Amino acid sequence: MARLALVTSNTFNRQDERLCLEAKGHLVSYKQDVARALETILSDPPDLLIIEKGLERNLDREVIAALKNNLQLALMPIILVVSERDIATGLDWDAYSVDDVISSQATIEELLTRIELSLARAHRVADNNPLTKLPGNSSILKSIQNMLDEQADHAVCYVDIDNFKPYNDKYGFSRGDEVIRMVGRILVNVVQEHCGSNGFVGHVGGDDFVFHVPNNEAEPVCQDVINNFNALIPLFLDEDDIEAGYFTSTDRQGNERRFPLTSLSIAVVPCEPGKYSHYGQVAATAAKLKKKVKALEGSNYFIDRRSGY
Amino acid sequence: MDKAEIRKRLNDIQSLPTLPPIVSKLNEMVADEEITAVKLGKVIEKDQVLTSKLLKMVNSSFFGFPQRISTVSNAIVLLGFNVIKTLIVTSSIFEVMQASDVGLFEHSLGCATACGIIAKLRQIKNPEEVSTAGLIHDLGKIVIRSELPDEYEAIVEEAEEKGLYMRQVEKERIGFGHGEIGGILARQWNLPERLVFPIEYHHKPEQAPDFKEIAAIVHFSDILIRALGFGSGGDPWVPALDHAAWERIKLTKSQMKEVIAELDEKLMELQDFTLEIKLDG
Repeated sequence: MARLALVTSNTFNRQDERLCLEAKGHLVSYKQDVARALETILSDPPDLLIIEKGLERNLDREVIAALKNNLQLALMPIILVVSERDIATGLDWDAYSVDDVISSQATIEELLTRIELSLARAHRVADNNPLTKLPGNSSILKSIQNMLDEQADHAVCYVDIDNFKPYNDKYGFSRGDEVIRMVGRILVNVVQEHCGSNGFVGHVGGDDFVFHVPNNEAEPVCQDVINNFNALIPLFLDEDDIEAGYFTSTDRQGNERRFPLTSLSIAVVPCEPGKYSHYGQVAATAAKLKKKVKALEGSNYFIDRRSGY
Repeated sequence: MDKAEIRKRLNDIQSLPTLPPIVSKLNEMVADEEITAVKLGKVIEKDQVLTSKLLKMVNSSFFGFPQRISTVSNAIVLLGFNVIKTLIVTSSIFEVMQASDVGLFEHSLGCATACGIIAKLRQIKNPEEVSTAGLIHDLGKIVIRSELPDEYEAIVEEAEEKGLYMRQVEKERIGFGHGEIGGILARQWNLPERLVFPIEYHHKPEQAPDFKEIAAIVHFSDILIRALGFGSGGDPWVPALDHAAWERIKLTKSQMKEVIAELDEKLMELQDFTLEIKLDG
């Protein structure tokens, strides 16, 4: 069973076609207005989007690009419905970065098959974190190793939330999850605004994130991330705690004690071309740096200035 | 039309239209390579429809901050440039822009400005939140205008003819006042209660279950801005001041002077922007 969004003029929207999709257990929302559909898709994304080419004001291209550029939605499969003529003449697939294509004249059986395939394929490649929808460990490893192999002059930045465990104990898991989502959103948006597709953001798990950006962007990105975090974190703390400047919770030994308000630490490992050859070396440097940055009070980033490994 | 029918209509609302010139201004800005999300935010936070749309999205289940985010600047940090851009490109507009639409736009903007000034004066921690409440306090009027256009026209006419407030005629004709309608929609959109209550109770702030101070500031700013004649709220009558609410936020004479002076200055600054909107319309 999957949640499908179908944005077409009227294609695949006959009653028997609707019944077929429903019989397969799919929950389908039908839309004709691209603009309205998009708003729903962005605020409550389906598992798969089927969109017809050539809808009003050529918004279809705009919408597809917007979804595929969104780090958290890029993996949602999109099937483009085209005319027989489009298939005959071919399309510019760089402009339409969709996952699959189907003729508007196709049978409902073919549509069903394509839906199943798209969903299965999306499932295979996804190691995304369910909470933030960001790429998980194997994608992170691959991305960093690629960057090292290509000798791109990037910096790898390890992010974690200070005193997250006691925060969770005091405020509960669901608010803890919100804080993690908040950090994920901030990272994605800042990295995207500074470096576009030159940056990468992944979620290791729990309160640990990794991103890498061109070396000269590392510092401004870290600064913006920390500023944004500091602007938002008060929304996730009780007013009494903000006023006091600390909160009370239990430490790992089970003792009640005071903790400084939640902050963010970033360990920055610049990887000048040739400095590191393997992901593990970067991680080892990061582990040492993390101790230093964690010892500082409040939200901070710390850049590894040593040359050579 | 009965109340159940209205509730159903509200439930079906996907998006609300706004003024065409604002959307085209934003579309132009988006085309500029150097534009940032923060700059877009400065325009979005002047328009109640776009602001509420942004807040609806960031408080939605997908973004996962239910009832948490109450200001445009915070929403922007979480939504990011691409989402905001898409929202702008696909936003719907009034097919025909009426003078009353611009009037309501100016009234909302003026009310937001007054709210911000008073909130700062009262040293409220997040004054931007209070101005947001002021900006979207009349969201219910937009709903009636766009979803029930015939009723809207009849309501405005009847209010003027019989010398009644809009909300009195609204209640009589459709069962809800615009405050309640705005409140229902804001709640449906998962907006924080710090915004929902001031919207719902801006004509009776002391009855708000919580956030009475914000509701009282919105209530007073609404009256102040109408008395100053900036924009228009639909009917020509300045609402009566709730005395208990006034007691709650009471400003001294010299504070009042301060507020008026600052408001005058800020409204002058805003006039460039509103004029641009009017001329493009």
